[in-house]
Amino acid sequence: MNEIIGIIIAAVLSWANFVLIDTWMGLPEKPGVKGADVIGRGVKKRGGDLSGGFFQGNIVCSPDASAGTILGAISCYTIGIPAGGFIAALLVFIGNRLCADPGYAGTSGALSIMVIIALASFIGIPPEQFIVGMLLAIVTIQGIDHPRASRLLGKIAKRMGRYTELT
Amino acid sequence: MIIHVNIVTVLSYILAVLSAIIVGFIVKLPLLPERPIRYSFTISIIFPTTVIALGLSAMVFELGWGGIMVGVITGILSALISKYLLEKILPEPTEPVEGES
Repeated sequence: MNEIIGIIIAAVLSWANFVLIDTWMGLPEKPGVKGADVIGRGVKKRGGDLSGGFFQGNIVCSPDASAGTILGAISCYTIGIPAGGFIAALLVFIGNRLCADPGYAGTSGALSIMVIIALASFIGIPPEQFIVGMLLAIVTIQGIDHPRASRLLGKIAKRMGRYTELT
Repeated sequence: MIIHVNIVTVLSYILAVLSAIIVGFIVKLPLLPERPIRYSFTISIIFPTTVIALGLSAMVFELGWGGIMVGVITGILSALISKYLLEKILPEPTEPVEGES
């Protein structure tokens, strides 16, 4: 498959993987640590959404499905499938616990991207394209426009019943 | 295709998870964390014991020790780590977040 098309497909799959898992695991509901609370309220002050801000703060402050997705992709590239995915899940879990996070989102993200990469390898998308794709996916959430990204994340959280009750 | 696995490795992973679950029951770990699961720090058999069993056995296999018995021993060790060590080295946070209900 053409490299550019492969990276675009990998970016879309990675984006869906980590946003859906993180939202399902309740990242937009409340800040796990004080840093996430500060980031969430800072994003709201700049015209963003509080729930989306908590999501952004939580993925900055602890390795959630976003970290699981990129570490899973890197491990699958360097070690292979399934060992890479399993090792990534364990490392992300340890990182989560060090950052006051239970670890469900990170480990689920690492294991699910392993399955996605294994399936995508059948249509010719190698794991290295997932590494680039995930970097692009995280840039859309954290690197371009925080308030706009937070409003989109807030809408997704509302749809999935994970919108914050904090004000 | 980048899937690197043979039938013995698959069996070893399955046995690692099974032995972790069995030893988890023997040392009286809960099967599941309490609800809502997504905020629970409780160490249970399903999470994180099986994740530790899979990760640890993958590390051991990649370091060159393979085989069914290695998988079983890794699974047993994972359950014992979950029960007796994990809470000490990676404890649950105690400080609440401001404004949190």
